[in-house]
Amino acid sequence: MIMITGGAFQGKKEYAKKRFGFSNEDILNGGSCDLDAVFNAKCVTDYQLTVKRLLEENADPNEFTRRLCRENSDAVIIINEIGGGIIPIEKSERIWREETGRAGCIIAENSREVIRLVCGIPVKIKG
Amino acid sequence: MTVLVTGGAKCGKSHFAEMLFSGFEGRKLYIATMQPYGEEAFAAIERHRKLRSGKGFETVEKYTDIDEINLPESCGILLECTANLCANEMFKDGEPVDPTDKILCGFRHLKSRAKLLVIVTNEVGNDGVVYEKGTAKYIEAMGEINRRAAKLADRVVECVYGIPVPLKGELP
Repeated sequence: MIMITGGAFQGKKEYAKKRFGFSNEDILNGGSCDLDAVFNAKCVTDYQLTVKRLLEENADPNEFTRRLCRENSDAVIIINEIGGGIIPIEKSERIWREETGRAGCIIAENSREVIRLVCGIPVKIKG
Repeated sequence: MTVLVTGGAKCGKSHFAEMLFSGFEGRKLYIATMQPYGEEAFAAIERHRKLRSGKGFETVEKYTDIDEINLPESCGILLECTANLCANEMFKDGEPVDPTDKILCGFRHLKSRAKLLVIVTNEVGNDGVVYEKGTAKYIEAMGEINRRAAKLADRVVECVYGIPVPLKGELP
């Protein structure tokens, strides 16, 4: 598994396309795709939105993410960094932010390589 | 040695910070700055207690005035976390006061007594949201505290989804 992270609009998808030769069709949108499709996708983007959808469906993002790491260990997972702001007033937003943090830690742990994009520049932080 | 550990929410800061003490010999103090108000704070405190249990830390609960803590010489100190300390100092009397000098004075006090000091802080200014005055002041204060603490620290590490990324010096 390979993880690509960074803030919004830092060039994460572009990097994935360039490095791995992915087409737009290869990249599954984690905010709108069929949730089961995540387990077979070459690449999933916006995984933080997958976490949000799981929470909305009362599913356990931790368990789902562990299953993803087990069953689709060759995938490239793109997940935004969203935890660097003020604690949200809305409880569901707080839970989403924290669960995204935990899910990201699980993906990072299971990835042989983690790349962080800053201003379009890839910085390898693991591997 | 003084280490500043920063990062966003649930990025593995605590785990990393605690690991730095695994080979430490001598008394280890954990300065807890989070006030146990509300269900979520309580849950967070419980979770951190579990993480720490069996690791030999003496817990000192101190929500403000860390410059007044009596400290043994050459101890290990883990302070967690600056974001709570900053909010507690800033908003304790209603109207926000600038907490930066006082908190830095506290950090210097800890540093003067500790063989190993690890300060856990937070990134709070990266969501791009424009907040009302009190919160904006808080973000500004946290930015200043983090910059000054980084100067005082020998090493600075940012945790990104559990991965420690060195920002100053090598990884401790």
